[in-house]
Parts: sequence; structure tokens; C-alpha cells
Amino acid sequence: MEPTWSEAEPIPPPRPKSRLKRFFRHPFTWFVLLPTLLVAVYYYGFATPQYVSEARFVVRSRADAPQVSLGTMISAAVGGGGGSAVGDAYSVRDFLTSHDAVMRTHEQLDLTRIWGREDADAIARLWNDEPERLTKYYNSMVSVAFDSTTGVITLRVRSFTPEDSKAVADTLLAQAERLINSLSGRAREDALNVARSEVAIAERRVLDSREALTRFREQQQELDSSGAAAAAMATMGQLEAQLVAAQAELRERSAFMRPDNVALQTTRNRIEALEHQITVERLRRTQGDGALSQQLAAFERLMLEREFADRQLASATASLETARMETQRQQMYLSRVVEPNLAVYPLYPRKLLSVASIFLGLSVAFGIGWLLVAGMREHAV
Amino acid sequence: MSETSARPLLVDCARQQVRVIGALILRELHTRFGRRRFGYLWLFFEPLLLGGMIAVIHGSGLRGGSGIRGTFEFFSIGYVLFFAFRGMINRASSTISSNRGLLYHRQVTLPDLFFARHIIEGVACTGVMTIFTIIAVGLGSAFPDSPMKMLCALGLMVLLAQGVALVVGAVTSEWEVVERFVHAMSYLMLPFSGLFFMVEWLPGWMQDIVVWIPTVHIFELLRDGQFGDRYRATYDLSYVAGWILIPHLLGLTGLRLARQRIGLE
Repeated sequence: MEPTWSEAEPIPPPRPKSRLKRFFRHPFTWFVLLPTLLVAVYYYGFATPQYVSEARFVVRSRADAPQVSLGTMISAAVGGGGGSAVGDAYSVRDFLTSHDAVMRTHEQLDLTRIWGREDADAIARLWNDEPERLTKYYNSMVSVAFDSTTGVITLRVRSFTPEDSKAVADTLLAQAERLINSLSGRAREDALNVARSEVAIAERRVLDSREALTRFREQQQELDSSGAAAAAMATMGQLEAQLVAAQAELRERSAFMRPDNVALQTTRNRIEALEHQITVERLRRTQGDGALSQQLAAFERLMLEREFADRQLASATASLETARMETQRQQMYLSRVVEPNLAVYPLYPRKLLSVASIFLGLSVAFGIGWLLVAGMREHAV
Repeated sequence: MSETSARPLLVDCARQQVRVIGALILRELHTRFGRRRFGYLWLFFEPLLLGGMIAVIHGSGLRGGSGIRGTFEFFSIGYVLFFAFRGMINRASSTISSNRGLLYHRQVTLPDLFFARHIIEGVACTGVMTIFTIIAVGLGSAFPDSPMKMLCALGLMVLLAQGVALVVGAVTSEWEVVERFVHAMSYLMLPFSGLFFMVEWLPGWMQDIVVWIPTVHIFELLRDGQFGDRYRATYDLSYVAGWILIPHLLGLTGLRLARQRIGLE
């Protein structure tokens, strides 16, 4: 057999893989396009629309309102007046994101029914009704923002129907209002209680001083000790004047009468009697328990006490009045700027934005991953 | 893609890369701190000294700090973070030129040079942060609210700096002038970085501006970990993630392009 050369079967060139196949084998498809597709399907196919209800309010105290009074101007200049309302706005914001607000709203509205509706999609709806998880979910659906320059607090509530959103927002506003009222009422009560107890103390003191004075008067059987003292002084004065007159008479008569004259003897007796009387009077006034000096001192102390008590009462009453006016002025209230609205168009979920950001994020991450892997491959030995 | 099976496994490549980076770290320590025995202690000592001095100047009441602003750890730990950030960005421009000779080896790639340096900085920063935390607790401050958040802030700061450093490295390999601007910018950034303030302390219009700066968010996270509920931190980590990812993408791409142009000389 003569060898014959036959044309070999041409090796078929490697069939170019179809574009589709290459596309499916590329990691970009798996790591970026597929997740984006899933997210897009969820957002456009299943996601339940969410409606936003928005309300805005400010926390004000009357002190913020312009008033033409020197006191307010001074306190505003010192910075005592306006600052408190900002602090209270912060506490309202903290309250609205707290479990307390959640539970109080839950009591009124049954939040698990609102956010755990059967017709809501499985990913966005609420599945648990434990308080902690409810609070967490609540904080993802309710946002409270405080703008410190304007003082406006913005409350946004999302849920699956417009009515629910509005109801939750309304309830939360009412809660916030109640909080502000109770805070303000507490502050007012505190301030007034202090002033009232001061007045009560002063009144007690006034009554006590009056009573002590009355008792003293009954005891001494005298209405006015200082008057009695003046009368005693007058008596002394008269006695001493008579004494001086009698002595002068004696000296005058002894100049032309014999020493044993009867008239002289009478004058001498009068002088003696007067001196004796003066000594007795002096003793009576200044010595012993019922002495006039003691009496006068006690009386004056009581009078002084009465005067002080009167003054204290007057100043306590005045400060109570001031405190009442001050609390009136600083009373806080919540004033609504924007009432909660009933949404017509569902703003959430933001479909295009979410899908686009997921696509971009994954693309960038894929790019970095690809670069890192390529860098690793360069290390091949 | 029929040669896929012929390619070495990715795991082996990764192992190889880890070894290369390890070797680069050792080399970097030697070139920077000399071959003496405890030379590399300077790595910790330098930020310790600077952070401590900054904390003493700002925190000791000379500048009138009150609240958490007056505490030792507010400035010391914050400064350590900024120190690492600035160090990584400033050194980025010299990374390629000082290691040019190593590129003779095929296994050494440009990103490896950066990764090695950044690992050193990250380790040093973690160590110094731990030391400062211990000192602060010793000085009577409360224990940090959440050390985990502090470490996260540190990690984010290192990653952010790494992204920027990769971009800077790639750009300076092409245009060397940029290096000057980078130095100037990193110094000018100091007052705006969030090291000296908390967002909450600023007036409203300034708050709106500073939240565009990524380091501000990282410092807020750090202080949230340090002080917890003692003030309200405002940060958005997804924004920081964007600032980390996009520079990484740009930087790694840039380095790949630059690799082809860099000769051995």
C-alpha cells in the first residue's frame, strides 16, 4: 500500500463563545449587575409605596416675644431669657425619638398594626412587636430634625398609607405639646412654691410678733411702756424742780430768819421729803424685776420685731408677685408652623436613587476588587 | 479563558503578596529608623511627643477649654489620628522614587510599597492611641465609651489616607510639582479637619459647610467612641465610604498606568 497523504481534517477554529455566554461568565455580571437587578426588581415590583407626613413646630417661651419693659431688656441682654427655649427644643427632639414617645403613641394608635400591615411588602414592614425592636423600627420611619438657627423642629413620619402617617404625626405632636406643658408647669410650680413658702413664713412671723406684744401688754398691764417711761420722767422732772425750788427758798429764808424758825423747819422737812421721794422713784425705775428700764427694753425689742416682721411680709409678698409675673412671662408653649399633611404621592422608597446608588457603589467596589486581584496576580512566581 | 487552569491559584498569589509586603515593612523600618536596635521605637515616640505637647498646650486651660474640650484625650488622641493622616499623605509622593530600585523584582508592585507604609502607620497609630487612652484613664478621665468605635475611626482614617495617598502617589509620579501643593494642603487642612472642634459647637451655616469634609465625620465617630453620650455626634459613614472607595479606584488605576511609564534608571 502506497502511503497516501490525505488532507487532514481541518481543526475547527475555537468557536468564538457567543457574546451572551461571555457576558454571563464575567464576574461583573455576578457581582454588580445581578444585585442591582435584584434591588431594582424589589423596588419596582414589590416595594409598597410609603407616604410621608411632615409637620413643623417651634418651642417658644413668652419671654421670646418682644416686650417693652426694662426688666426683660436687661434679662435679654444678660442672656437669661431666650436660652431656655432652645434647651427645651432639644429635649422635645430627644423625647420624640425615645422609647417613651413610642410607647405612648403605641397605646393610642397600635403602631404594630400601622407598620406591620398585611399588604405591606415583607422587607419594609415591621415584623416584631417587642418594645425595643419597635423603637428601632420607629426611629427608621420617624425623623426629627432641629434647626438651631431658626428653632424650627421638623417631624417626618413615613408609613404605608397617608392616613396612618398623618395620624402618627398628629399623635406625636400632641405628645410633644403635653411634654412642653408639663415641663413649663413644673417650672412654674417650683418657682411659685418657693415664693409662697416665703410668704407663709413671713406671715407666721408677723402673727407671732403681734401675739408676743399683746401678751407683754397684758402682763405689764400697760398699753405703752414708752409712754409710761415718759410719764415717769415727767414726774421726776417735777419732783426735781420742786426740790430745787425748795432749796432756793431755804437759802433765801435762812438769810434773814433765825435758824430755829418754824418756817425754815417746814422748808427743810419738805426738802427732805422731796429727796426721799426722788431716791425712791429712781430706785423704782432702774432696779429690780419690774423696773421701768427692763420693761422698756423688752417693749422696744417687741416693737422692733414687729416692724421687721412687717417688712419681711411686705418683701415676700412683692417677690411672690414678681415670681408670678415672671412665670407668666416665661411660660413655654409649642406653636405649630406646619400642620401634618395628608400625602397624595408616595415619596418613598426612592427607587431610582436607591438603585443608582447601589449600582454605582458596587461598580466602584468591583473596580477596586478587580485592581487588587490583578495586583495579586502580578506576584505569581 | 482556557488558560485559567494554568494560572497559579489566587491564594498562592495572595500568600506571595503578603510575604512581599512583610519584607517591604522590614525594609521600610530599616531605611527610616536605621539598623540600630530600638530605632523603630521612634515610630511610637514621635506621635507620642507631638500629641502630648498639643494636648498640654490646648487642653491645660491655656487656651480656655471647658467640658470635653479641656480634657487631655480630646486633643492627644485626635492629634495622633491627624498625624497619621498627614504623614501618610505627605510621604506618598516619595514612596515610588525612594523604592524605585526594588521594582527590578517582578513581584514587587507599586501598591505593595504603599500598603507596607500604611500598615506601619496604622500599627503605630493604634499603639499610640492605646497608650494615650491608658494615660488619660490614669489622669482621671472616664474610660472610653466604646473603644470599638475609636478603632473603627482609626481604621477609616487609615483607609481614607490610603486612598488619597494612592492618588497622590500616582499623580506625583507623573507631575512632580503636585508634591508641593500636597504638603501645603495637608498643613492648611489642620484647622478644618475636625481636630479642634465638634460639629455641634459651630453655628448652623458652618455646620453645613464642614460636613462636606470627610475627616470631620471620622473625628466625630472617634469622639462618639471616646465620650459617648456627653455630647451629640453627627456623622455619616456612607459619605466617608464614598471618600474611601473612589480615591482607591482612582489611585489603583493611576498606579497601574504609572507602572508602565516608570523605568528602572
